[in-house]
Amino acid sequence: MGKLESVSRRSFLISTTVVGGGFAIGLQWTPSQAAGETAKDEPWAKAAAGSEFTPWISIAPDSTVTVRCAMPEIGNGVFTQSAMTVAEELHVDWSKIKVEYAPPLRNFLEKSVYTEAGGMMGYFSGRSTTAERIQLGLQLGAGARERLKAAAAAQWKVPVAEITTANSILTHTASGRTLKYGEVAAKAATVKLDKEPTPKPRSEWTLLGKATPSKLQNPAVVNGTAVYGMDIRLPGMVYAALRQAPAQGGSIKSLDASIARKMPGVLAVVTVDPKESAGFSDPKLQAPFGLEMCTAQNAVAVIATHYWQARKALDAVRIEWDDGAGAQWKTTETMNEAARALLDSKDLKVEKTEGDISSIDKQDKIIEGFYHTPYCDQAPMEPLNGTALVTPDSVEVWHPSQHSQQAFMVAAHETGLSPEKVVFHQTYVGGGFGRRVFGDDVRMVVAIARKYPGKPVHVIWSREESMRQGRYRAIVATNLRTGLDKTGYPVAVHGKYAIGSVGGTAGFHDTPYAFNKNFKVEGTKVPFNILSGAYRGPGYNSHAFITETFVDECAHAAGIDPLTYRLKLLEGYSDLGWVMCLKEAASKAGWGKSLPKGMGMGIAISNWAGNGKPQAGTTVATVATVEVSKAGKLKIHQLDVAFDTGGFLNRDAVVTEMVGGSIFGLNMALNENLTVRNGRVVEGNYDEYPMLRMGDTPTKINIHFGGLSGHERFCEPGEPPAGVAGPAVGNAIFAATGKRIRSMPFRLHDISWT
Amino acid sequence: MSVTLKINGQTHTVDADEDTPLLWVLRDHLGMTGTKYGCGIAQCGACTVHLDGAAARSCQIPVSALAGAEVTTIEGLSQNSDHPLQKVWVENNVPQCGYCQTGMIMAASALLKQVPHPTDAEIDMAVDNICRCGTYPRVRAAIHQAAEKLSS
Ligand code: FES
Ligand code: FES
Repeated sequence: MGKLESVSRRSFLISTTVVGGGFAIGLQWTPSQAAGETAKDEPWAKAAAGSEFTPWISIAPDSTVTVRCAMPEIGNGVFTQSAMTVAEELHVDWSKIKVEYAPPLRNFLEKSVYTEAGGMMGYFSGRSTTAERIQLGLQLGAGARERLKAAAAAQWKVPVAEITTANSILTHTASGRTLKYGEVAAKAATVKLDKEPTPKPRSEWTLLGKATPSKLQNPAVVNGTAVYGMDIRLPGMVYAALRQAPAQGGSIKSLDASIARKMPGVLAVVTVDPKESAGFSDPKLQAPFGLEMCTAQNAVAVIATHYWQARKALDAVRIEWDDGAGAQWKTTETMNEAARALLDSKDLKVEKTEGDISSIDKQDKIIEGFYHTPYCDQAPMEPLNGTALVTPDSVEVWHPSQHSQQAFMVAAHETGLSPEKVVFHQTYVGGGFGRRVFGDDVRMVVAIARKYPGKPVHVIWSREESMRQGRYRAIVATNLRTGLDKTGYPVAVHGKYAIGSVGGTAGFHDTPYAFNKNFKVEGTKVPFNILSGAYRGPGYNSHAFITETFVDECAHAAGIDPLTYRLKLLEGYSDLGWVMCLKEAASKAGWGKSLPKGMGMGIAISNWAGNGKPQAGTTVATVATVEVSKAGKLKIHQLDVAFDTGGFLNRDAVVTEMVGGSIFGLNMALNENLTVRNGRVVEGNYDEYPMLRMGDTPTKINIHFGGLSGHERFCEPGEPPAGVAGPAVGNAIFAATGKRIRSMPFRLHDISWT
Repeated sequence: MSVTLKINGQTHTVDADEDTPLLWVLRDHLGMTGTKYGCGIAQCGACTVHLDGAAARSCQIPVSALAGAEVTTIEGLSQNSDHPLQKVWVENNVPQCGYCQTGMIMAASALLKQVPHPTDAEIDMAVDNICRCGTYPRVRAAIHQAAEKLSS
């Protein structure tokens, strides 16, 4: 720690002036510097910026442009996208643009400056390409550019119209004079324009949709200087290891920390009790995602000088747990049965009903299937963690959140302090996938730090703790039933589901397939003690699999090619993106070509975030080409993915998300499965919760652009591919072996054939 | 106990309990946070360093076993972040969240020292690190590309 504390006040001031508060990218931080930067002072440094054009954008004397971003960078490239959007109008030298996080405190104090465009979702995951955000970025860039031109015009005493901008340089061609942006930034920032400029139309964009820059933070990632939540180092910081009630909802019966307290480095053994959460200082305050999903859990934490000491001492604490109501769930099977039994209940809640489903029973061919998906953990590579410094009248947090505004409010709620007293520093995030959205993690961090006030406490969940204390993709049990008419197509579909408990039926209730005219969807939630939450494509990640497997079963029962079958079911649908995606993926994969025995192709399509509306959300079709050995060993040779996001703004960013999302979807379908014993999640680490490695990944994951409809939206690419990779593979396995897989994970199924 | 370690060519003396894994000595005693914690049980490779030139998972090595060994971490892989792997990684936009990537680069750089032109199968064997974001296809392509650069 001595080294950290020797960071002089002077160098600290210099570094904050460069940074402008918060985390700036592109700085080559040595780990010890990471300390001072964020430790004190205002979270934004107005003084040095001096040239702040709006709360979103500043230009420094050296021409560095700093753009603030309201979304956390979880690997989806929102920093780079935010910079690109501004640069489209600002004409900057790309090497001089930086992005930093918009501070939630400032948003709170200055009337939602960072959330007025994009609303509550402003701080959430990948919303950098919505129409509102694009418009905002372009407007910011254009506004700053015109102010720079006005300042230069005044200095040179020439008409503004004679000044051009490129590469962060203002030029007056007639006189051959130039100025760097930084040279007039201070003056430009004070310019009042009669009218804000109108950004150019999209047909004239030169960067958006054309350039494909590498992520801005990559230089810091590859040399290890990018600061994730785990990498926060602060003067005087101590470490905490925690253990929450192993049966979620349980409590501590008895605790003996006498041995642990005497172990080397141990500073304190503390407990967390949800009843001790202080609540909001003002009852009118709200958290954007509410507080229900982020209650504290009963827990024990050991605080020590070093993490390893804390962790070892935690193992030495003798804790007797009261498993509470969760204890009734003796095995996963009892839970699965409970969910399945509810499908026959008379009290299902009708979610959707269209036309008439009574015709189903009048058909000769009835197709009915029961489908199931298990608990899954998002398992981001960075385990849950966070750092907080709590004093009687302040709380300062450094955290890898997926929703900094939510996390900021949760910190206020846990301590009972007014949000004005909360400083929240967003760090880089080592993967989110929905796990870090609701703020249960930040609440636990603050709750522990409250028990050890005056020192920054860095709380680390071990991988085991991270995995066993999830907010999981819920168990889903679904029954689908249809009758096929003489031509082989469904006359109506009746779906019943039970979800335990968070998540909807996206990917099913919003289907555009023709059977949606005679359609009934009803279901219920199962009140398990195991906590569920958001997992890449919530609801959809189960129901795209279920729906697309079911439709495939119908096609095979009718003896119709599964691609032809889907195209027919989409006839007359006004969003042509669906058909384009199907055709593109199929033709690129060579759909229909003859394959040797044991090989097969499967297709699946769905839409995420469109909620059943045409020309909305992202549609993805995937064709999987697989080989199954007689013994039942699966090899996925190839995925062909076609998508319709409308258009795209950064082609390479879309490709990375499509590939990553497909691999995520494969892992979910093939591998992921959490089991429960006596209300406690069993699996704790990657040895028990397998992950695809490089050698298991298909060598060809081809992303095709021919499915793009060209509609004006730029919808997200990250979640949609995860839903269709699994059913495409499942359907391919059926084509190869005749074995139908109706539940995840596939690895538990025998797919051998003769 | 007090241990003397040679890391990135420099000698460090740390006071750590003898069973402390090298991973936590690097991260928490020495503030070298480029080496990441992902699993702690040799599964993920996020903690990969070089031990006497070979890739090793630092979560598995107690600090007491390190007398006389030379450790290289991501911070010491190159002088100016200019190892061919690092350059290719940035050019090809390999990282997504980035958390696993330093471990990937350390595993790959150890491989390229031993096998200048690895096959896909050799890469799969040597770089079996976990990436939850699914960067595998790019990681593999980047290793091949860096191998070319290194040999030309
Ligand atoms: S942390 Fe060492 S292998 Fe995962
Ligand atoms: S880039 Fe996120 S885990 Fe690999």
